[in-house]
Amino acid sequence: MAQPAAGELSVSIWRGGAEGGFEAYRVPARASQTVLDVVTHVQRHIDPSLSYRFACRVGMCGSCAMTVNGRPRWTCRTHVSKVAEGGRLEIAPLANMPVIKDLAADMRPFFEKWQAAGGAFEPTLTRADPVEPVRPSEPARKVADAGIECINCGVCYAGCDTVRWNDDYLGPAALNRAWTLMNDRRDGAQGPRLAAVAAGGGCHACHSHQSCQEFCPQSLDPTGSIASLKRLATRAYLRGEIKA
Amino acid sequence: MPMPIERVRTDILILGSGGAGLFAALHAHDRGAGLKVTVATKGLLGKCGCTRMVQGGYNVSLHAGDSVERHFMDTVEGGKWLPDQDLAWTLVSTAPERVRELENEVGCFFDRNPDGSLHGKAFAGQTFDRTVHKGDLTGIEIINRLMEQVWKRSGIDRLEEHRALALIPTPAGDALAGVLMADIRTGSLRFVQARAVLLATGGGPTMYRYHTPSGDKSMDGLAMALRAGLPLRDMEMVQFHPTGLLAGPDTRMTGTVLEEGLRGAGGHLLDGAMRRFMEDYDARAERATRDIVSRAIYAEMRAGRTSPNGGVYIRMSHLGPDTVRRQFKGMVERCRDCGFDLAGGLVEVVPTAHYFMGGLVCRPDTATELPGLFVAGEDASGMHGANRLGGNGVANSTVFGGIAGDTMPRFVAQSGGHRDPDEALLAAEAERCLHPFTRRAGDLNALRERLMDLMWDEVGVVRDAEGLARGLAGLDALEAELLDTGIPDAGRAFNLTWHDWLNLRSQIETGRVIALAAQRRENSRGAHYRADFPEPGDLATSTYTVVRQNADGLAITDAPVRFTRVRPGESLIPPAMAAE
Repeated sequence: MAQPAAGELSVSIWRGGAEGGFEAYRVPARASQTVLDVVTHVQRHIDPSLSYRFACRVGMCGSCAMTVNGRPRWTCRTHVSKVAEGGRLEIAPLANMPVIKDLAADMRPFFEKWQAAGGAFEPTLTRADPVEPVRPSEPARKVADAGIECINCGVCYAGCDTVRWNDDYLGPAALNRAWTLMNDRRDGAQGPRLAAVAAGGGCHACHSHQSCQEFCPQSLDPTGSIASLKRLATRAYLRGEIKA
Repeated sequence: MPMPIERVRTDILILGSGGAGLFAALHAHDRGAGLKVTVATKGLLGKCGCTRMVQGGYNVSLHAGDSVERHFMDTVEGGKWLPDQDLAWTLVSTAPERVRELENEVGCFFDRNPDGSLHGKAFAGQTFDRTVHKGDLTGIEIINRLMEQVWKRSGIDRLEEHRALALIPTPAGDALAGVLMADIRTGSLRFVQARAVLLATGGGPTMYRYHTPSGDKSMDGLAMALRAGLPLRDMEMVQFHPTGLLAGPDTRMTGTVLEEGLRGAGGHLLDGAMRRFMEDYDARAERATRDIVSRAIYAEMRAGRTSPNGGVYIRMSHLGPDTVRRQFKGMVERCRDCGFDLAGGLVEVVPTAHYFMGGLVCRPDTATELPGLFVAGEDASGMHGANRLGGNGVANSTVFGGIAGDTMPRFVAQSGGHRDPDEALLAAEAERCLHPFTRRAGDLNALRERLMDLMWDEVGVVRDAEGLARGLAGLDALEAELLDTGIPDAGRAFNLTWHDWLNLRSQIETGRVIALAAQRRENSRGAHYRADFPEPGDLATSTYTVVRQNADGLAITDAPVRFTRVRPGESLIPPAMAAE
């Protein structure tokens, strides 16, 4: 790609589905400009057929993650100056997910694995009961709180080598959610969830490359959560509570 | 050749996947005796819309010393006596059960006191610290847990990235038959026939130059309701948040909200010459209410005392950058990612359109005038009157979403099978949504820019008769230009520019109703301020506006507020408690 002119960004954007290619665009550089703004500029002013996904604009919904210069990121909260070396940007859809069109990935497998990991609360009380008193100082609660602020943006999943190699691997976000639930004493599905995450494609498949931890925009530590799940599952196996 | 319309059927169709839509899906599924429930949403399930963006929290009277009556009085007084009192009562009296449901059944975990009980924080305009929260990311906790519960139920069908285009009644017009939708991914049209439909697309005044809501929102729900001839009330009531981020033109960061707590903690607002100005307007200075601070900033802007991008500054650094970083971690990080130093420097801010109090008229059980159509969340109206309290928004969507999910299965059981649609209207609506493909491509962006400026300048924070007349004329002109502006037909699959066009049409149509209602209300209440009628008017004879679209255009009337539980000057709180 040619050296961008002063005041311009040289932007390369994935077009098409799984079988597609990069196309080049020249976008005016601005002082306040995120990667999402660059993508928006192309759609609004250069090629109205460009497809992408975004919603909240402020890093709360996790809809707009894409691969930016080779790394998965939220585009709404990534300032161009932080990532555009030499004024160049390469923007592609999230990896490890099917491409719908251009920059929009199909996140269904990611959410299906979230469920497969037992990533939903199983109630033991009802709305007729008072809210359970839980001290914030309880050790298990502190562990759950440390992992709870995941917004399911898929950045860790897209950046995970194990997901790329192993179609069955549940991935960092789903396992991190399972770990927070294993530390929620209000939850009533501890046994089945532990069996689910200990099965093939579960926590033991993780190679601890730590990309998830490195890429997580929320600074969470899924690698740590998965390592803790491994210990929990191994202990349960040794006690005969779950099968290998 | 007309585009083919695929036909599908469900029992209960829910439009929207915010707090209202997801709660409705759970309740309808769990109580619906095998009914097929489908959630259709413009983005991904739970990932679009605004419940997710709730920072503050959830108002609920669950704490010792608080009461439903006290929450009710705060809501009615905050709404300047315009709320429908039966709706407001339903909101505050159902909220405790809904919060217990969120905690005990959905799996949310809200912040606790050291003894393990629920923490309640102070929030503006309330006489009790009743706002339950999860840090300053309450909406993420609520929506993440709700979406997990919806995914878990395989009986709930999902139509993600589906846009609702039109409500299609029966040929006789006596009930709703279903909804015409566009599958955004494929670009195909689909008629979803349903025995009951919930409108929960979530308002969102995104037609203003500066706005906070999620980018997918464009008032489609109310535009559809208007076209179906249904009554919309309180449409002049647009809530502006005083401190939206001002990052300049052409960035989606501009308009996003910087939280209320910054002013509460002692943040200063400075004009372009670095002078604190709020004391010129209110003795509480920066701690005055949202509407007063918004109008003060707007006045500074009108007087030309602005920062480089045309707003004012917020300064936190005098509180100590480390303190600010610790106390407002999320806000500081967000500003940092966008290139601004909130803790140690100055950040430009501007008032920003935040929430829409107006909407479709409904009953406390969420039924509307049209049998088969129900409404909840920001598309509904009457709960907040002239002003919504912070913390009452997510309470509103989850309370009434759940009620809708209880009501719709009952309606379905009583109303028989699926109803046939008005085929002529269905065909006309399909043609209507494809209109931009029949015109030569034009500059859609210029139209959007002009719409946002027009609404901001003439129908915005401070209004008067002349400006509103210019606003209405300008909207007519913009609509005519839009209808003559096409988009290239380079394939309809995931064609965002087609949806931008449709968004603009909804925004213009509802913007016109806002301007008309603002013209009608010749007083100043809550979020609505008329420079030519600055007084609130007599509370005892309060009226609210109702707009309908009929064959002759828009018709507007005033309806008297019925004080069914308490009259202005009275209170439901016993004097001994009120004194506490």
